Amino acid sequence: MPAALNEKIAGWEPLVVAFCCNWCSYAGGDLAGTSRLSYPANVKVIRVPCSGRLNPMFVLRAFQRGADGVLVAGCHPGDCHYSTGNYHSRRRLSSFKRLVEFAGFEPDRFEVRWISSSEGDKFADEMEAITGRIKALGPNRKMRDARWQSVT
Amino acid sequence: MAERYLAELTKIRDAVRQDLLGGRINLLLGWEKGHYWWQSRPLFAEDEKDLERLTWDSFCAVNLSRYLLDELKDYQKIGVLVKGCDSRAFNRLLQDNMIARERVVLYGLPCPGMLDYSLLTAVAGVAPEGIDEENGRVVLKTVAGEKTVERDQLLLYKCRDCLYPDPVVYDQLLLIPRGAKEAPERYKSVTALEELPADERYAYWDKELSRCLRCYACRQACPYCSCRECFVEQDKPRWQGRAYQASENFLFHLVRAYHGAGRCIDCGECQRACPVVIPLQELNRKLIKDLNELYGQFEAGLNAELEPPLLTYKPNDPAAFSEK
Amino acid sequence: MKKIVTADKLPVLWSHLAGQGKLLLPVKEGPTVLFKEWTAGDEVALDAPTSAISPKDIFFPREETYMRYRCRGPVLELSAGEEFEPVTAFGVHPCDLKAFEMLDRVYLDQDPVDELYRDRRARTTVVALACFAPDPFCFCSVFGIDPVSAPGADVIAHLDRQSGNLMLEAQTVKGEALLKGDASLLTEANGQSYGPALVKTADFGLKLSGLSENLKGRFEDPAWDKLYKSCLGCGVCTYVCPTCYCFDVEDYGHEMAGERFRCWDSCMYGQFTLMAGGHNPRPSRKERIRQRFLHKLQYYPETYGEIACVGCGRCLRSCPVNLDIVQAIIALGGEQNVQR
Repeated sequence: MPAALNEKIAGWEPLVVAFCCNWCSYAGGDLAGTSRLSYPANVKVIRVPCSGRLNPMFVLRAFQRGADGVLVAGCHPGDCHYSTGNYHSRRRLSSFKRLVEFAGFEPDRFEVRWISSSEGDKFADEMEAITGRIKALGPNRKMRDARWQSVT
Repeated sequence: MAERYLAELTKIRDAVRQDLLGGRINLLLGWEKGHYWWQSRPLFAEDEKDLERLTWDSFCAVNLSRYLLDELKDYQKIGVLVKGCDSRAFNRLLQDNMIARERVVLYGLPCPGMLDYSLLTAVAGVAPEGIDEENGRVVLKTVAGEKTVERDQLLLYKCRDCLYPDPVVYDQLLLIPRGAKEAPERYKSVTALEELPADERYAYWDKELSRCLRCYACRQACPYCSCRECFVEQDKPRWQGRAYQASENFLFHLVRAYHGAGRCIDCGECQRACPVVIPLQELNRKLIKDLNELYGQFEAGLNAELEPPLLTYKPNDPAAFSEK
Repeated sequence: MKKIVTADKLPVLWSHLAGQGKLLLPVKEGPTVLFKEWTAGDEVALDAPTSAISPKDIFFPREETYMRYRCRGPVLELSAGEEFEPVTAFGVHPCDLKAFEMLDRVYLDQDPVDELYRDRRARTTVVALACFAPDPFCFCSVFGIDPVSAPGADVIAHLDRQSGNLMLEAQTVKGEALLKGDASLLTEANGQSYGPALVKTADFGLKLSGLSENLKGRFEDPAWDKLYKSCLGCGVCTYVCPTCYCFDVEDYGHEMAGERFRCWDSCMYGQFTLMAGGHNPRPSRKERIRQRFLHKLQYYPETYGEIACVGCGRCLRSCPVNLDIVQAIIALGGEQNVQR
């Protein structure tokens, strides 16, 4: 293990991967854009059909390949386009988040938020907030593939 | 062998012989002795002659339920000897629709807990030449003499915090039930790890997982790992790389454990099978503990009718992330 | 050349050897003993029986990158994978040393030779350690291996059980170079010798003469139908085995940059023989078990003249269902007057 797992490097900018539900948070991001709200370019959005689509391996793969933080954004409970997808993801991601923390990740590295398509301001705020929290934590080295640096 | 085991073995053999010779079952899954007195390995008995090798002692740790997945392809009706954990493994497979209940005859064996040879050696100081058991104590016989130790101190890790030594599902209960047990220390190691700072916890797992050979013995021995194609073997997309990198080891072990969330019966076969003794049960128990705290008490495999926590939900469920 | 290192000086010896390159030796880690790189503070386990995993990875690492590629505009740049540094492998038991000989035949006695293996071999000084107390799992005497001598090693070490002192005897030029060190650390043996302890291992009543010939034409033997049944299909046996040498090649990266590595593979895995079109000539555990044991007991002897097992006992210790090579030999008839 390196001496400092989250040693800061000059000029470092965090990479945050945000998995956004097609029916709510992704549209929320669109609304943030059309409302001319700005949020950090550190966030890379990946659209998924539902937060229930999220295979936990997506999160781990993101950490393996350079993510400093991962956010899953889905519909508010009760609002799922498919009725129950986010109820299932609430349970799954709750236990998965605790497992990831048990493996040694800081709680802020992996988060879940409910953002509807009408909440463009919340979308921008949350992206700002998670980027700030990850900036404060420093770069993530946990589970990062040692070979990743050499191929990027 | 202790008197008690001999008497019990006679009882077991009589019961299964009748069924095997009478045609009620075509195959019996049991145990036979391996090369050593501390090894009892799976026995696949088809006839009277095979049954002579049947054994029952303190080393019958192998969970036999898993073999049903393959053997039911070749045999119409199979008898299985099940300890408490094996019976819950059976329920698990039943719940996943992997086996048909009516094609299996379960012979229930309330279990005293199985012994760990490496512990016997460690406690005796040298490799023991044999053991005697009586009244909850084990007499270790070595070249240097005898040493008597409480049996509880020599149990396999997986047996130490066993809650259900008695089979929870069976067609015939062959021995006297031992009653439910308490396991106050079941989550002790999990709690200790939870209390560490994140970086130290990462360092702990980094070191433990660095021993991993990725032989997949944990997966193969596991009664819930019954997928026809595991994510490890999937190659479009390829999830699990083959390299021996920390990152690949973490991926395998976190995903393996997570696939057992709400399904793991905590039988500990994964940890017993591990050639480098990675504390896999702590990962499994972490998930059991959290799901119990968040979504109500649930022990997988106790009742095949009860829905596991990750297959259901309530509209007002709590969440472990800051947004509720 | 014979030298003695007293028990209290052993930590000095480790840092002395580590100063000359990488030092690999048996280290106690948690409940297991592993053959790994020494770092200060490690609990060295010279008196332990064989390590949980064989030390074959000294020459045949679990994973080894042998090529890197990168596209810079229209130019494809290729570079070699790893630099090799000098290695001292300390405390290799005679059974594992015999296994090195078997790997050598596969990787070196052919044209072209395996360069990665050759280079690692050339940069390594092997210090063998005579056994004094075999594990109950050991059965090397079945294969005629003397547990207290190590003909192929650069140095043979004897540990004196009472004093904990170590006697080192050079057997090659490389070995002599290793022992030319600090005189306060390595003192002359002056005719002293630690008499080889009487070591006898189990033999399970195995009778191996004629077994390989006998196995010819028994590919469809009914014994295979029973033997494989308890196999779980994991790769423990192949990964702990000192004479298993199969590997796979894989890439990591993307179209613009990446690396190619080889890593251990196991004939126990379903994907081992899976072909691109979906056909698998070894579709079930039966074919895989048969392949593994016939390779050890018939194919290897046909090519190289001896059975590819050294009796280290690791599969007897580690197989979760005790389906080990002794079970196989007995099931195939290589047994006489079994004493259990």
